[in-house]
Amino acid sequence: MTVSAQERLTRAAGYPSRPRGRRLQASGLPWILPALVLGVGLIYYCIGYTVYISTLNWDGASPDPLSVGFRNYSNIFSDPVFWKSIEHTVAFFVTTFVLQTALGVVFAVIMHSRIRLAVVYKVIIFVPVVLAPAIMAPVFRQVYAANGQFNWVLSHLGLGFLAQPWIGQTSTSLAVIIAITIWQWTGLTFVLYYAAMSQIDQSLLEAARIDGAGNIRVLWSIIWPNLRGTTLSLAILSAIGALKTFDVPWLVTVAGPSNSTQFLGTYIYQMTIQLAHVGYGAALSIILLVIALVMAIILQVAARERTGRP
Amino acid sequence: MFEVRKWWSKGLLQLIATLLVLPYLFPLIAMVQGSFAGDGWGNYRDVLQVPGFFRFFVNSAIIAAGVIVLVYAVTMLAAYGFAKLRIRFREIYFWMLLACLTLPEVVLLTPLFTTTQAVGLFNTYWAVILPLAALQVPFAVLLTRNFIHGLPDEMFEAARVDGASSFRGFIHLVIPLTRPIAAAVLIFTLIGAWNDYLMPLVFLQSQDMQTITLVPRFFVGEFSNDQTKILASAVLTALPEIGAYLCLQRLFERGLSAGAIK
Repeated sequence: MTVSAQERLTRAAGYPSRPRGRRLQASGLPWILPALVLGVGLIYYCIGYTVYISTLNWDGASPDPLSVGFRNYSNIFSDPVFWKSIEHTVAFFVTTFVLQTALGVVFAVIMHSRIRLAVVYKVIIFVPVVLAPAIMAPVFRQVYAANGQFNWVLSHLGLGFLAQPWIGQTSTSLAVIIAITIWQWTGLTFVLYYAAMSQIDQSLLEAARIDGAGNIRVLWSIIWPNLRGTTLSLAILSAIGALKTFDVPWLVTVAGPSNSTQFLGTYIYQMTIQLAHVGYGAALSIILLVIALVMAIILQVAARERTGRP
Repeated sequence: MFEVRKWWSKGLLQLIATLLVLPYLFPLIAMVQGSFAGDGWGNYRDVLQVPGFFRFFVNSAIIAAGVIVLVYAVTMLAAYGFAKLRIRFREIYFWMLLACLTLPEVVLLTPLFTTTQAVGLFNTYWAVILPLAALQVPFAVLLTRNFIHGLPDEMFEAARVDGASSFRGFIHLVIPLTRPIAAAVLIFTLIGAWNDYLMPLVFLQSQDMQTITLVPRFFVGEFSNDQTKILASAVLTALPEIGAYLCLQRLFERGLSAGAIK
């Protein structure tokens, strides 16, 4: 009796409850240790190491690298290619996110509306998600080449005047990278929205219909607001994904022509592996990491405020 | 969702759906069509005759299997610990793990390069398996912890009252009950490991260690940029992935959508 009263008191006072009546349980630390060693251990070790390298002027091979303090970092901020990569990342994130969301919602609504061959459509949209970008890259290099299939389709649609070397010129290369990314990830967006729409209360829709709302009105006023949680998750996913972008711009356009599809990931790779400016690459890596962390925190906080739940 | 009753609106919706899907089909058609240009089936014969072509698949399978086993074992233990056991500073550990979610793999290149060479793991499967697993673990733990969190505490209490240790509770309760979420972890770990390009590119230098994502790169050298054969090799490497997806369609979609449900 006294024990439970005491327990209630400590709980009410906001202290972490320490039940004395119950048998003392062994700590769960050994259970999480393997994950911590592998995940946190390996990754934090690498980050620490990268921070150290970022203060060096090092080619990756010489035995005694020169310490330069924070000079790599100050050089980055006056590096036009760095700012270009940031611009590309922002443009890439905004366009892919907006278009993928729109396409994903539209596909999900259509597939929920009892059309024929829905399974076939679903498979076609989803297959790109499971295909490796590295495998598809040569295909896209061919499709968007000056004499590629994309121009062939344009000319057969009577739009031949639009034909151009899509990946070979700076004005369109980024758009190609964006198009490929949208092609690849719409399937995931679609599947997530499809699942979220199955959770919407059907009686809500029926009530709206009885009140005379049309299809577009229902989509805008009932379906879309109910998808907010999914949309926020996708925003975080695509923001982090945009910062991680590497495979597609590297393999399709080699970050060019003249840096027009340069992203932070491709720039770090070029600096570190190709040009052997390992210290500079490490400093870029740390900046990329800081941006990713700060953005994840901001989006998480924003998501909490919008949904009003912890 | 949409109500379409009249025949013409049904037809219109079908037409819109078809027009929207076509661009998604287009690159796949272009890939197959391009792979038959010139020699036709001869392109496929040439690709299959390249010695060691099969080796790429074996390597990818070994790496994917290694990553999956490692991620599964580590994740299940940790998720149970985070969800149901008493751990001091639990939240701190958890957030340290979550912060790794934002990590781009390119950041790991230099430190891993020097370290794997120093400890003699360079150009072994471990040089790819360990970092890939480390990158997958945070998300897997997040998903699984949330899932186990949803299981009633009373069940674990009852097992304890009956004299079961934490370990027996883990084997007899956690492992069987987490099967749905384990399937999700399996699928996205498989996709992540199988499709990864950067790690094998940097850490697997010898020819007989390389994975299928390096196949196009290999054939650019092998056939001196003969596009038709490169596309034939792309089709051959894409087929198992499409096959696996078609066989496990439900699992794939459920697995990936589990990620967004908080």
